[in-house]
Amino acid sequence: MSVRPADYPAPWSASDAIAPPTDPVDERIDVGVAIVGAGPAGLAAAIRLGQLMEEDPATAERLGEVPVAVLEKGKAPGSHLLSGAVVNPRALQVLFRGRKRVDEMPFAGMVHGESVLFLTKRRAIPIPTPPTMVNDRNFVVSLSQLGRWLSEEAESLGATVLPETAATQLLVDGGRVVGVRTGDRGRGRGGEEQANFEPGSDIAARVTILAEGTQGTLTSAALSRFGLASEQPQVWALGVKEVWRVAKPLDRVIHTMGWPLRAGKKYREFGGSFIYPVGDDMVTIGMVVGLDYRDAALSVHDLLQELKTHPSVRRILDGGERLQWGAKTIPEGGFVALPKRFHAPGLLLCGDGVGLVNVPALKGIHYAVESGRLAAEAAWKSFARGASSRESLASYDESLRKSWLWNDLREVRNMRQAFGRGFYVGGALASAMTVTKGNFPPRDLPTERDAEQSLISTSRASSYPAADGKLTFDKLSSVFASGNRTRDDQPNHIRIAKRVPREVAELWTNMCPAHVYEVPDGAVGADGLVEVQIAPSNCVQCGAITAKGGRLTPPEGGSGPEYTLT
Amino acid sequence: MKTLVFLEHHEGAVQKGALGVLAKAASVGDAHGVVIGSGVRDVVAAAGTTVWVADDARLEAPLPQPRVDVIAKLVRDEGYDTVLFAQSVLAADVAAGLAVRLGAGLNWGLVDFDGTKGSAPQLQDTVVVDVGWTSPVRIGVFRAGSLDATALSGSTELRDATVELEEFSTLAEMVEQAHAEQQGPSIEDADVIVAGGRGLGEPANFALCEELAKALGGAVAATRAVVDAGWYPYAAQVGQTGKTVAPKLYVAVGISGAIQHKVGMQGSGVIVAINKDANAPIFEFADLGVVGDLHAIVPKLTELVRARRGS
Repeated sequence: MSVRPADYPAPWSASDAIAPPTDPVDERIDVGVAIVGAGPAGLAAAIRLGQLMEEDPATAERLGEVPVAVLEKGKAPGSHLLSGAVVNPRALQVLFRGRKRVDEMPFAGMVHGESVLFLTKRRAIPIPTPPTMVNDRNFVVSLSQLGRWLSEEAESLGATVLPETAATQLLVDGGRVVGVRTGDRGRGRGGEEQANFEPGSDIAARVTILAEGTQGTLTSAALSRFGLASEQPQVWALGVKEVWRVAKPLDRVIHTMGWPLRAGKKYREFGGSFIYPVGDDMVTIGMVVGLDYRDAALSVHDLLQELKTHPSVRRILDGGERLQWGAKTIPEGGFVALPKRFHAPGLLLCGDGVGLVNVPALKGIHYAVESGRLAAEAAWKSFARGASSRESLASYDESLRKSWLWNDLREVRNMRQAFGRGFYVGGALASAMTVTKGNFPPRDLPTERDAEQSLISTSRASSYPAADGKLTFDKLSSVFASGNRTRDDQPNHIRIAKRVPREVAELWTNMCPAHVYEVPDGAVGADGLVEVQIAPSNCVQCGAITAKGGRLTPPEGGSGPEYTLT
Repeated sequence: MKTLVFLEHHEGAVQKGALGVLAKAASVGDAHGVVIGSGVRDVVAAAGTTVWVADDARLEAPLPQPRVDVIAKLVRDEGYDTVLFAQSVLAADVAAGLAVRLGAGLNWGLVDFDGTKGSAPQLQDTVVVDVGWTSPVRIGVFRAGSLDATALSGSTELRDATVELEEFSTLAEMVEQAHAEQQGPSIEDADVIVAGGRGLGEPANFALCEELAKALGGAVAATRAVVDAGWYPYAAQVGQTGKTVAPKLYVAVGISGAIQHKVGMQGSGVIVAINKDANAPIFEFADLGVVGDLHAIVPKLTELVRARRGS
């Protein structure tokens, strides 16, 4: 019998993340625009709003004492930001036109050369760079650092950035989004109020912009509540990466395909690695694998460790030292999985949260920035005297559809789905799609949910290299290198089915890069199921569990990793 | 340099951590102590230096603001330029309040002090940085368990401090003070700690650690994994997200030694590890390692300690 994680769903529903306002009117916090998430999308929105406030102080005046609030669940802006990343500067240039030049932005350097390598266990075969992956005139960046910089820019333009503040519920009143509720702090493991308990607050906003990033809880609830979700499901990949200090500079960006992933169709292993220079003395290296994979033994963290033992990769890291580690999911559903609409009454949706990612180009940061900027302009329109809120917010959809990002995404709309057919067939289909600018195939390929893939079990795990603490690392020391020091005695924020088949428990245990799940020894119950043990404070909030049957919700604000270089 | 050290007391005795700070301060300059409370003259009878005693019924409850009043006045009247604390809930409140009152710089998490600058581990103890002060009065809070409480050999002179409380300092009252029930020394104060991890197999086996700790006159600690699993209370958790300890002897029973645990106990004097897995990381930083079955070794060890101690 085939086992699918989707058959053991998490005890969570969209209504858990939606509530009416409850604080008395004089106790709630009133803001003009509430932005959830201090990432590239949310901060671009805050920055654009700040620019508009400068240009039109009279309208700004009407938004009250806090015209723009950005809620960030991480310890500081940037704490939860992780990406490759090679960024296309286009959207940032537009956002900062006439204000900041590219050389004033915190980029680690321009891409001067690139290689794509097909790896076998011992060899590295250079292959031509696929047209979608060409990075000419793009920049390497630490997204965490870019986020900190954007956050300072936003604050200097009048936005209030609130770190350590998790938005846990979308406030909906009479069919309209009226703000968000922030999470309680200081609850104990069983939910009891501890000495330092502080209840959350209702943040009432004229417009709410959700820029939560991948696997956003409120975004997911909003898509469901307002019927915005695409017919095609969203799918994700899991990326695990490390930042190294290296002895010698790397002169180009490198992408690899092939080993240590397996090409066979039955495995459904789609992904690869990236190795980027970060200035002259650092390198970032990461492994990304689509979460539609089937093998319960697959561990992206361990594949990254294995990758580093490849002779041509080890050479780059030789004499170096690992500085940081982290993990994050990437929405990969592409064009066909985009929501039907990007707005609802009082609400705008941006960035990774709604899947604005170009998978074949390995890019999404510039779409996040552009969508945030456009969302800000739509929100601003709604503040004009006599403006219709409905029409103003609906104009966001129009601007997105007219934007260059829409065309980009449409052209590559079926590429990710093609790779569900294995590496070689997928590669051939992807070439045909590139040549025809997305007009082939005439009908969209269907997407299957990550959690609906039936599981297989292999002995893959036995070939992962042992951790030596120098080149290769175990999961727990990696969690330490993410800066995670989450308070242990807080309520569990991860929803999973309590009892699952052993295969599902093994899938979660191996999949999770942060050692959150553990399969108990022995203990198969009379129902043939096991109870998964979990250590939620290890969680780095990558979101993989949501793709594979569980549900990540925001923990107490300030929890999770404290990335600075990722 | 003239330093004043806050001597926090509990149940008739000064906290070991505060005595450690006093000893450190005395090794680099003039160091006096201050004890604040009601009926507290006896607790500093053998401090080995000058100690200010603020003894007043209004100082009975361990509230921070009245203590800020007392210390701020001493700093102003007696010309202290440095005030040092050993980390605790009360010390944190008093130090923060004092910093505001005096407009003084406050450095936190110190493990060392040379009279002009302090040392503080940062970035989760991966680096130690030098920290200094630019304010005329310098305030520092030492990390718990970071210093040895060697006794001072000088003569003890008790001086009465004048207690003048600000009106706003007396507005708070202590409604209730709760203490975690525990027997024996707390893990921050113990010279010997026996810590148990997942290798114990089941909660009941913590009895092995408790017996050994009792025989050695020490306290029992636990790893995050077993606290998470509900085998032992959170108050006993040692590590990155638990307590930082530095006993003279740390016996790690069935503990693999993940870095999250290591950073909470790496300052211990002698580390003894008992684990059946010879590849466990704990053996990389233990002074003495025993590879074997803890169920056989620990009871035997307890028996030997008892025999040696004649109890």
